[in-house]
Amino acid sequence: MTTDVLVAADAPSAEPPARRGGLSPLARYLLLRLALIVPMLWVLVTLVFFLMRVIGDPITAAQGGRLTPDQIAERKAEAGLDRPILTQYFEYLGNIVRGDFGTTLTDNRDVTDILVVNGAATLELSFWALIVAFAVGIPLGRIAARHRDRWPDVLLRLFAIVAYAAPVFFVGLLLKLATAPFGWPTSGRASTATELTLAKVDPQTNIMIVDAFLWGEPEYIWDVLQHAVLPAVALGLLTGGVFLRLVRVNLLQTLRADYVTAARARGVSERQVERKHAFRNALVPVVTVMGMQIAMLLAGAVLTETTFEWKGIGYELAQYLIRRDFLAVQGIVTAIAFVVCIASFLIDAIVALVDPRVRF
Amino acid sequence: MRYPGKSVIDSSHGLQRFMLLLGAGLIALFIVLAILAPWIAPYDFNQVRGDDGQLFGTQQPPSADHWFGTSVGGADVLSRVIYGARTAVEVIVLAVLVSSLIGVPLGLVSGYLGGWLDKVLVLVMDALYSFPSLLLAIVVSIVVSGGSSGALGGIASAAISITVIFIPQYYRVIRNATVSVKTEPYVDAAKVVGVRTPRILFRHILSNVAQTLPVIATLNASEAILTLAALGFLGFGIEPSAAAEWGYDLNKAMPDATNDIWWTGLFPGLAIVLVVLGVTLLGESLNDIMNPLLRTRGGDKAESELEIELAEDLAADPESAPATGAGVAAAADGKDTRRTAVLSLSDLRVSFGTDAGRVVAVDGVAFDVEPGEVVAVVGESGSGKSVTSRAVMGLLPGTANVDGSALLRTPDDGERQLIGMSPAQLRPVRGDEIAMIFQEPSTALDPVRTVGWQIVEAIRAHRDVSRSEARARAVELLELVGLPDPAQRVDYYPHQLSGGQKQRVMIAIAIACDPDVIVADEPTTALDVTVQAAILELLLDLRDRLGTAIVLITHNMGVVADMADSVVVMYRGKIVEKAPVDRLFSAPAHPYTRALLDSVPHLGRTKVTEGTPARGPLPLENAPVVLDLDDIVVEFPGRWGEPPFRAVDHVSLQVHRGEVLGLVGESGSGKSTLGRVAVGLQQPTSGTVRVGGELVSGLSDADLRPFRRRFGFVFQDPAASLNPRMSILDCIAEPLRVHTDLTDAQVTEKVRSLLDSVELPRDFAERFPHELSGGQRQRISLARALALDPDLLIADEPTSALDVSVQSRVLDLFLELQQRLQFACLFITHDLAVVDTLANRVAVMQRGGLVELGDREQVLRHPTQEYTRSLIAAVPVPDPAEQRRRRAERGDLLTGA
Repeated sequence: MTTDVLVAADAPSAEPPARRGGLSPLARYLLLRLALIVPMLWVLVTLVFFLMRVIGDPITAAQGGRLTPDQIAERKAEAGLDRPILTQYFEYLGNIVRGDFGTTLTDNRDVTDILVVNGAATLELSFWALIVAFAVGIPLGRIAARHRDRWPDVLLRLFAIVAYAAPVFFVGLLLKLATAPFGWPTSGRASTATELTLAKVDPQTNIMIVDAFLWGEPEYIWDVLQHAVLPAVALGLLTGGVFLRLVRVNLLQTLRADYVTAARARGVSERQVERKHAFRNALVPVVTVMGMQIAMLLAGAVLTETTFEWKGIGYELAQYLIRRDFLAVQGIVTAIAFVVCIASFLIDAIVALVDPRVRF
Repeated sequence: MRYPGKSVIDSSHGLQRFMLLLGAGLIALFIVLAILAPWIAPYDFNQVRGDDGQLFGTQQPPSADHWFGTSVGGADVLSRVIYGARTAVEVIVLAVLVSSLIGVPLGLVSGYLGGWLDKVLVLVMDALYSFPSLLLAIVVSIVVSGGSSGALGGIASAAISITVIFIPQYYRVIRNATVSVKTEPYVDAAKVVGVRTPRILFRHILSNVAQTLPVIATLNASEAILTLAALGFLGFGIEPSAAAEWGYDLNKAMPDATNDIWWTGLFPGLAIVLVVLGVTLLGESLNDIMNPLLRTRGGDKAESELEIELAEDLAADPESAPATGAGVAAAADGKDTRRTAVLSLSDLRVSFGTDAGRVVAVDGVAFDVEPGEVVAVVGESGSGKSVTSRAVMGLLPGTANVDGSALLRTPDDGERQLIGMSPAQLRPVRGDEIAMIFQEPSTALDPVRTVGWQIVEAIRAHRDVSRSEARARAVELLELVGLPDPAQRVDYYPHQLSGGQKQRVMIAIAIACDPDVIVADEPTTALDVTVQAAILELLLDLRDRLGTAIVLITHNMGVVADMADSVVVMYRGKIVEKAPVDRLFSAPAHPYTRALLDSVPHLGRTKVTEGTPARGPLPLENAPVVLDLDDIVVEFPGRWGEPPFRAVDHVSLQVHRGEVLGLVGESGSGKSTLGRVAVGLQQPTSGTVRVGGELVSGLSDADLRPFRRRFGFVFQDPAASLNPRMSILDCIAEPLRVHTDLTDAQVTEKVRSLLDSVELPRDFAERFPHELSGGQRQRISLARALALDPDLLIADEPTSALDVSVQSRVLDLFLELQQRLQFACLFITHDLAVVDTLANRVAVMQRGGLVELGDREQVLRHPTQEYTRSLIAAVPVPDPAEQRRRRAERGDLLTGA
């Protein structure tokens, strides 16, 4: 993804060359990449805004059957929705620049507040899932590449395909079926008692495990960890399967590179060749694609959170969708676009650190 | 027997074929279910009462009446699963069709035309692509249907939501493929003859890009099912009463999971898994089969193709039948070398398992390498020379089968047999006793490690020294190989060094542990001649100082004459002659060696034989000017924030009718860019181009088209400049079809006569480019370039990719045609010896500028410019005695590369 953008932005630049002064190529690259976030976000925000307006105004959509036309008109005027669409659009852009994503229609919550509270839950879930994904994907991918076309490779490839083919909510359902009889917690981020207790933690991070540690009692930590297992496995397996295939394919490519043969020819041991040359080089494309996986992880989080009633941003999104609260939906979707753009920038920065060809 | 997909199945193996067939089988099963749902399913998907009017009851466990039980809503689970297949298939087919119909043309146009349209589209599509696709689908589904709707509308709206997220994927893949295909020489070749843009897009680009479509389509289809299920799961799919949908059913079953009711969720879930599995397996195996890199052990196919090619090319030389290993025109001078040889090969045999059975690449090779000796192993592509060296090092792929003997004798460890050693036993030998230098230094160095790191690694693989000691040694080694500022450059990454510097680093790695033998596999082939001369100098110098024996693998007879003490000539896996270097050149014993030496162009010794007339400079005064380049400047925009790069810098030259102007220069000199300017493939930044007195620079493609028939262009890579999907007839006929109104029959007749004139059989018209050898393909390119009897022919390195024996015959043909047709020719090459055999005048370029321009005799024998002198001095000539004299003469003319 990123290369396309760079190619597109490479050629003529409005920037006067005089301004670049003594910046290192890496800094220049990162600045360029950062600057690219703005038009990308703008495209997304605009797209979401106008798409959501095509269906009509949010008030009619939400309250259509329940209110008289007069009441709706009144409410619309109150919310400023009767003004020309472009006026609304520029006002919306201005608000976003100021960090205001609007308020929900149904329960009058600040979308920014949803981002902070529920976003933290999603962050926590993504963190657990990433741990599972790395633990599954990278070592298994290396094993598969090392045993190319022999039975470990065959089994691992099948595993990866099944991990991808099974929708996360179906895996969730199977996990619930398997663990419910043993009394393992199958929904929520913690049991009610824990949640109530941890809500008292100050400062409140909204990240359950951090709050549990701040509180300091092991039983709460254990409770939080127990609740995290099923969602993390369900979401982590999905991403882990993708990582496995990525690592395998890229390792197979780098293992046949000339520099690998050259390293063997100078007497470097096979283990070292695989670890220091093939794997390190395979990481470059792997990290790039992992950046794209963040979008997939977030989409997966919507489903995982719904499956396990994990009150993250995806769960909230689904709830507002059901209630037809499109102002909330628009705010949350826009906010997710923000997160995705920034995350992909961070990933590109990491790629630059891994690959000296980008760095210099 | 022929059936669709047969070729795909045929090209798969073992596991791959299993995956392919399993995937196809699963898909077929679900398609059958979808079509026959009303007849297969026991009940309707919405039915909650039996024929007797009794309710089925909700959440009933599986029974004889309801094999899969009943759902929360009281419907038969089996029936809902079967009808669900129908919904899934409808949505997938619709989504994949619509998104490819929109995404493909968009990607084609955007990738080909470039410009602002491309930039805007890339930005929009990238933004869409980076966005979580499910969220986008949700937003779109709200827009399309307001959330949910009936059967037809629901399926359409689900399909549209999915379509929107797939368009960017098709767009990206097709655009990127288009961008890479459009720089392929065969697209340039089509442009040169004036083919219109739409025809280029569909005839040349789409046909080559389209092969990726089935792969993307299958991969997208699996994502489509998952998205559809996810939409349903979240309640945004199809109204449950309108059609059965697996995701919706799973959502309804979710609370059951904790109540031990497993059948309501398990079956729809399994259905999703199986469909996605089927589609993914099919897509993956198609991808594997179409991507040769991932193909299951096809063996070293290239090797066997080369074999065939060589056999065809050499079939013309009747006497060059290879001698058997025993009948080698042997050279043993009577003295017993066996006792002192550091490396002795005997009866070495290597074969590869390929699709077409075992192919023998090396057959009965035997030679000795004495300490401090340079043994050159020469041969053309496919002769087995590289395979031999890799066999000794144990670096061949697993499909190779090696037997015979390779004895290594070192003072410390005595005598060891290398063939049959395990990798663990070979490891201490590699790098320590036998080191290797590779052809392409830019790929043989690990791009993510500093050069110092890689040298340290080589040292510490064999010596028990600390990191800092090894690093100090690395700096010493870099100094020894003549890298400037070694203390600083030790921390450079390979991409920060030039090609010659990288090869110096490779040499530093090779000598890091004082090996007894260095195997140098085409060490200078990828380098410019001046750099080559410096690297060869370095190797000889190291041999003198360290006493290392060198096995030099090369195809370049000039390098052999320059470097070797003794020479081994290989042909088709066998040694045909072994001799000391002087004797090999003065009295070659084997017919193949003689043929090989005969076909090598020799700088300063123009071949004047009966067949070809003497090519002295023609009287040019009264010949009309055909190509007039006046003060040409070409600049390319620099990378972001960098100044533009000037590739051609105020160059003026003229080419006259009947004349061959040789344009020489090293890589990056701007010679190819100038050639592209001459035919309008590249617009000059300033300056004018006139062909036959008419201005052609600055014209639009459409205005330029009428002039196109006056130029022909022959590209460097004969394999890439012919569209692989067009027959030879279509390739040659393209300019005729674009510029003339000839009937099909007339075109065919003309193509046949063109084939005659390039000395190829007429029935080649029906073949495809891949069925021809390199030399034959280059003849086809020549025929195409001459199809319209052009006034001007531009040939850009037309023979550089060919073996010398093939090159010499293509050049002979070229000269013969030029004499007959009297076209003006700009012949671009890096090879001074080739220029010497055919040019009337020579132009020398360096870093974008024209250094020297004059008659061949003057430029090549009495150059006035320092750069031309050093260029000429750097070319190794295929004559050991003369080369020794030249080497002594040139002295310090060549400084480090």
